[in-house]
Amino acid sequence: MIAQVLAVVIFATMFLLIVTEKFERHIITLSCGLLTLILVFGLAMQSTSAIIETLNLHSIIKSDFWYTSGSGGESTSGINWATIIFIFGMMVMVEGMAKAGFFRWLCMRLAKLVNYKPVPLFITFMIMSFILAMFIDSITVILFLAAVTIELAKLLKFNPVPMILSEIFCANLGGSATMCGDPPNIIIGTSFEYSFADFLTNTGVIAALSMVVIIIYFYLVFGRQMAKSSSQDIDFSSIPEPKEAITNKKDFIISSIIFGFAVVLLITHAQTGLTVAFIGTAVAVATLIAAGKYAFELLKKVDFKTLLFFIGLFAVVGGLEQTGILEKIAALIGDISGGNLKLMVAIIIWLSAIASAFVDNIPFAATMIPVIRSLAATQGVDLTTLAWALSMGTDIGGSATPIGASANVVGTSVAAKNGYFIGWGEYCKSAAPATIIVVMISMIVIFIRYC
Amino acid sequence: MEKQLIISVSREYGSAGHEIAENIAKEMKLKFYDRNMLDEIAKKKNMQIEHLKKYDEKPRNIFNSRKVGSFTNSYEQIIAEMQFDYIREKANSGESFVIVGRCSETVLKGNEALVSIFILGDKEVKLKRIMDKFNLNASDAAAKMRRHDRNRKQYHNHYSDGKWGDSRLYDMCINSSRLGIDKTTAVIRHCIEEIKTSER
Repeated sequence: MIAQVLAVVIFATMFLLIVTEKFERHIITLSCGLLTLILVFGLAMQSTSAIIETLNLHSIIKSDFWYTSGSGGESTSGINWATIIFIFGMMVMVEGMAKAGFFRWLCMRLAKLVNYKPVPLFITFMIMSFILAMFIDSITVILFLAAVTIELAKLLKFNPVPMILSEIFCANLGGSATMCGDPPNIIIGTSFEYSFADFLTNTGVIAALSMVVIIIYFYLVFGRQMAKSSSQDIDFSSIPEPKEAITNKKDFIISSIIFGFAVVLLITHAQTGLTVAFIGTAVAVATLIAAGKYAFELLKKVDFKTLLFFIGLFAVVGGLEQTGILEKIAALIGDISGGNLKLMVAIIIWLSAIASAFVDNIPFAATMIPVIRSLAATQGVDLTTLAWALSMGTDIGGSATPIGASANVVGTSVAAKNGYFIGWGEYCKSAAPATIIVVMISMIVIFIRYC
Repeated sequence: MEKQLIISVSREYGSAGHEIAENIAKEMKLKFYDRNMLDEIAKKKNMQIEHLKKYDEKPRNIFNSRKVGSFTNSYEQIIAEMQFDYIREKANSGESFVIVGRCSETVLKGNEALVSIFILGDKEVKLKRIMDKFNLNASDAAAKMRRHDRNRKQYHNHYSDGKWGDSRLYDMCINSSRLGIDKTTAVIRHCIEEIKTSER
């Protein structure tokens, strides 16, 4: 009982401190993680096995951490090292691509392809945002897209806010389509040993269907405003040529090849047996070798604070898991739903969506994973159905408000620094209905396909 | 060439710190920066001044904004950082000026030209000044004073390691209620002249 109370208090304190931002979030999660190990496992439970299980270091040295025979290994708990190593690898690769000018080149190239016409540009950038976010973290996608959008808006004299809002939404939606698109999906995938193809054929289908509806939705909301933007009196010669974005042609080609290599490895990992931890390590090593003497410079740019944040977070969630708190929450959801799978899906998807609209979806997803695992075991329902509901709820719910997802924060921040202040009212007016539409579509598809 | 002088004035609401800072700038023929710096920032960055004024010198609202790496969508924080950059730019250009608030004593910490001052006041005197200036009754004036001081404190302490109004953070702290606006201005000016002379 004391262990449970302590675990909940530490978890609640961690969440509160993250919201106040008084300290950096990795300091908060690492401190709370350490407190979990000492107070919950050490003093209250006096369980060395709980500490070992939560630290989960033994998983790294197992061969199936790097390579699986394809039979589907057991699901893991505690610190999810596969997620951390994979995210690290992708961070290194993305830094290499950014340094070579890949993202800016891609944006400028597509803008030129549509002759810088506002409405086609608006739709093209939404699609590009969706596709890029399937493979690359949404922060990077929005960072480059928003910056280029503002640059083009200034040159072509249109309001960039509708484009930025739609790009943010599509980046979050694209992230839900694959295992590596959004951190909750990586955590869900590595926790339950799902493959890239599992996500693509389940959440990917829902995301693609939603994307069609969302393009129509944003066109109806902003299309007229974008169409009004006149392309008269514009000096097209002042627009930079796409090739100017490339800082080094050799680096550009190599980083593009590594990116292609990563995509192929991810798509085929169920067949090859290579795990995401292996893929992350492989792309990081390839990028660092290609960077040569700049490898250290590239490594310095990696956001290690986020990786530390994950480590601490998993330890705190491990506290809730080991003390049985999450099983109680699962039992509560089971009681409310009365064993009805449709009701369970509805609760999980809407609870995840609403919570993710206001709090960071990563801690939420990490907390909910043991909950749905327990729910599936005790209620005898299909775990994958609950996992897709959790994935869509956490990935899409964050789109509703300016603070719901990292891409929203970065997009609105870049806009504000350039003089375009997007208030909560303006943001939610278009994003909240879009979120509700996609969550509804997701719920209906899950009902029809799995329930 | 005259040696650079930067006077940073922090103040309690109702202490007449702003007025005193303005007087010092006039008398010493120095440029004066307060909220007016937003006009220049808005012009330079092609922004709407109303947006900047709305979030000026206000603490971050923890419930409607978030930080991701070095990015934040707290407009209070974005505008504060724009002002800090502006202050640093002015200081680096060698210009002498008087600046009110904006955490300037922390932003310019270590700058040899900096003289930092904190102006406080007796509660009754501050209240009377607020009541007269805004034509408010005592309770409304007290609420306004509390609100502004709370905002200034939160704003300051978010960006500074030191606490707002802590004497250890400033070169000089003075209670304007003792001497009134003109004499407080004169005392501060005298001290600044002494500092300038001793550093020559």
